[in-house]
Amino acid sequence: MDTFIIYMIGIGACVFALLTVLSRDIFHSAVWLALSLLSVAGIYFYLDAEFLGIIQVLVYIGGIITLFIFAIKLTAKIGDKTILQANRQTLASALVSIAVFCLLFKIMISHPWAVGTPGAEMVSLKEIGKSLMTAYALPFEFISLALLAAMVGAIVIGKTKK
Amino acid sequence: MISIDFFVFISAVMFSIGLFGILTRRNVVGVLMSIELILNAANINLVAFHKYFGSDAGQIFAFFVICIAAIGSVVGLVLVIAIYRSRESIFTDDFDLMKW
Repeated sequence: MDTFIIYMIGIGACVFALLTVLSRDIFHSAVWLALSLLSVAGIYFYLDAEFLGIIQVLVYIGGIITLFIFAIKLTAKIGDKTILQANRQTLASALVSIAVFCLLFKIMISHPWAVGTPGAEMVSLKEIGKSLMTAYALPFEFISLALLAAMVGAIVIGKTKK
Repeated sequence: MISIDFFVFISAVMFSIGLFGILTRRNVVGVLMSIELILNAANINLVAFHKYFGSDAGQIFAFFVICIAAIGSVVGLVLVIAIYRSRESIFTDDFDLMKW
């Protein structure tokens, strides 16, 4: 039963992603993107990564989608649904992305996945916190610095001139 | 337990869809959305490898990728707002200031 559900969630993530890319109205795109990211969070929960699933819902659906909707509404004149949203390279782009997909698929089926023990025990939140503070302390600090830089940069770029 | 192929396959499909979106969208916000799709596709792979190969590095890396995605979309959307203020447009065709 849960195999069936995870298949549905995975296919749903792809279908919602396709709708995000193809939708004429950019606001609808944002809503489809939210559903797609929610399905990805479902995949994380299935793969025993509860922490990442919760972070995905909080950061993406709570934060980033809200930001996207703000940006669409602040530039609303242009988010009008009568305006063409795709450029004239649709056919060429489709060919390129199908080619990239075929390449990835070929690599995927030719690679023998040396799967160890499927269903290895769940990594607890405590262990993730510990390894963030010990083995991965340097990248963690760099991420904090990058977040600070992004915050300052966003304020500087976004402020209106007097 | 499903085999790892399913998750890698889903990830490849999502990556290709995101690539298609980046190439076709005229709206910069749409391009940013496609970038989020691509980063999520990479994340699915990382979490699946964490699950099937039993190392906690996958989750940590996925966490870092989510942080980078947040940074990218925040700065990108602020740039969209700033460009909209000065050029009254958010379409990629209209941004030709740096073309020779």
